[in-house]
Amino acid sequence: MRKIWLVMKREYLARVRTRSFIIGTVAFPLMMIGVIALPAILLRHQSAHTLKITILDQTGEMAARVTQGLDQKLPNGEPAYQVVKTVQEPSDEDEEKLRAELRAQVNQGKLDGFLVIPKAVLEGDSATFHTRNPGDLEFAGAVRSAVREAAIAERLEERGLQIDNVRDLVGGVEVTLVKVTKEGEVEEKGQTLATALVMMVVLYVTLLVYGLATLRSVLEEKTTRMSEVLVSSLRAFHLLVGKLLGVAAAGFTQYLIWTISAALVAAYGGLVASAVRPGSSIPHIVLPISTLVYLIIFYLGGYFLYASLYAAAGAMVSSDEDAQQVQMPLTVLVLLGYMMFIVVMRNPNSTLSIVLSMIPFFAPILMVLRIVLQTPPLWQIALSIGLIVLTTTGILYVSAKIYRVGILMYGKRPSVVELWRWLRYT
Amino acid sequence: MDAVVLQNVTKRFDSIVAVRDLSLRVRQGAVFGLLGPNGAGKTTTLRMIMRILLPDEGSIEVFGEPASDRTQDLIGYLPEERGLYPRMKVREVLVFLAGLKGLSEKEATRRIHQWLERLDLAPWAEKRVNDLSKGMQQKAQFIATVVHKPSLLILDEPFTGLDPVNAGLIKDLMLELREQGSTIILSTHRMEQVELMCDSICLINKGQSVLDGDLRAIKQSFGKNTVRIEYSGDGDFLNQPALIENLNHFGAVVEAKLRPGADPQEILRLAVARGVRITRFELVEPPLNDIFIQKVSETHA
Repeated sequence: MRKIWLVMKREYLARVRTRSFIIGTVAFPLMMIGVIALPAILLRHQSAHTLKITILDQTGEMAARVTQGLDQKLPNGEPAYQVVKTVQEPSDEDEEKLRAELRAQVNQGKLDGFLVIPKAVLEGDSATFHTRNPGDLEFAGAVRSAVREAAIAERLEERGLQIDNVRDLVGGVEVTLVKVTKEGEVEEKGQTLATALVMMVVLYVTLLVYGLATLRSVLEEKTTRMSEVLVSSLRAFHLLVGKLLGVAAAGFTQYLIWTISAALVAAYGGLVASAVRPGSSIPHIVLPISTLVYLIIFYLGGYFLYASLYAAAGAMVSSDEDAQQVQMPLTVLVLLGYMMFIVVMRNPNSTLSIVLSMIPFFAPILMVLRIVLQTPPLWQIALSIGLIVLTTTGILYVSAKIYRVGILMYGKRPSVVELWRWLRYT
Repeated sequence: MDAVVLQNVTKRFDSIVAVRDLSLRVRQGAVFGLLGPNGAGKTTTLRMIMRILLPDEGSIEVFGEPASDRTQDLIGYLPEERGLYPRMKVREVLVFLAGLKGLSEKEATRRIHQWLERLDLAPWAEKRVNDLSKGMQQKAQFIATVVHKPSLLILDEPFTGLDPVNAGLIKDLMLELREQGSTIILSTHRMEQVELMCDSICLINKGQSVLDGDLRAIKQSFGKNTVRIEYSGDGDFLNQPALIENLNHFGAVVEAKLRPGADPQEILRLAVARGVRITRFELVEPPLNDIFIQKVSETHA
């Protein structure tokens, strides 16, 4: 036991002292803070100015209403949009010339865009908005709703209804989502989805990162010829277990730091965001303690499952090139579990979702997803954990045999037949 | 009590038999040479004694008890392929390896400090292994092998890559450890070292023992069938295939291996008859090198 502990300690320290660990650990929370704070900061410092547009109105009736619909104010009181010119029912020839002229103005920056309203717009022809920056969604959105509202007002008028302010008429009626759980009801503001997505990405990334870290560590001991020195002092199996525990502990440290910073962001992030830009909020990530415990259990299960495989893969090869090849199938396996989240997200309790979340290779990601979305019956969670434990034990047993032989073998990558023979060496 | 006893040990890898029915005894306190050509099964044998590999058949005893995790701690093993974690500090990696052999951190730190002083590595203690020269890394590895005062030392080619000064230093340390009661198993291709250091040897070829026992006795059993000659003049008199089986020129000295039953006097007579001046004419035991070559080629035939 003492020897396993020593190997674990060394492995842990070797991991947490690497630059990539420190960067990864610090960068992730910083990134999260950045994601929250940056848009608010950017929006605040955006140089707001009045956007100028020209309207080419082939109907001859819509332009006025559109202009009215664009009557919005910037925070500093200036108008947000200004219709600098309106051309009613131009002839085809004129229109060609006008368009060329307007394009030139847009390119020169004298104009921010021009809107063309076709004759049959009410019959379904689409209006076109020409701008240099279609990425400005707010701008495009404002123009789009102004045209829609104008069209609605026109149609209503055709049916004999005189409406002054269409926006009041079509103004939204909200439907608030409420998540029903055994514990009661929670208003859903996208936090379930956000939590599920964040947890999946974290699980996926850490399974891959720490799986590969295990592979690298085994390979490094081989290429630096440390393996033989080590197994002359302790059993290969103990070495493997110590190594897996050491890498797991490093992963755990990272989780802990992330969780704490996430908790801090959850507690104070809203304050920061609203301080930077009043009125803004962040999607709340809700992580009940029970979910956190499941996350840790499934992370550990998934980690030991995959890391044992990655360790065996590392023991099989003696060069980086070969390592690339043997780790591919494992990486694909992790990715596969990740990609199937769509199936589960749609319907967490369908037979397919239940079956997928029982397969030990996918369970770490998919069962956690189900728990977050719609907590499944306890027996399903227990069965899933049981299956992971059983499979991991089996894989660890086989991997240890491959590992024991592999760490002393150099040269060509073994074929499947050779691997089979390795398993039968005493 | 013997330090190591192997009885009818066999180890197979698939269809290849790496070690076949090997029995040997290493007397406690001896320097034992395990010899053999490349691929003879030396490393496999050492790994089985270290319990890195398990024998398919036969038994291995270390200091009277079956090889186990416990006997592993009694042995210091220097594998042929050396290695230390390149990114760890020298002191850290040595404390770690000593810990794996059962030393407490405090005791390991104390002893390693002494050893580093002794091998002139003290200024490098806090440097990364990477920053050390090959020779210094070898010395650090030697510390890792001996720091737990092993009763049995297994050294696989301990002198490769060392300059004469450091090789001498390591040799002195080995002999000192033997004075203190350690048994040493030395595996090497350098026969002159075996002749100088070993009490007994085992020569294995193709996984089987072909020669084994006390080095002096082995050499005597081969008889004084070699003539060491120093002369000046024409060397033609040595061109006697009927008398001489094999000639080894070392510049100033020639070693001539006689055919069975050949009379060395005959060679002396021929030399005198041709007016060659003889300054040395000595009947000696064959060098280990010749015994090695003879034995190995016999078993190949």
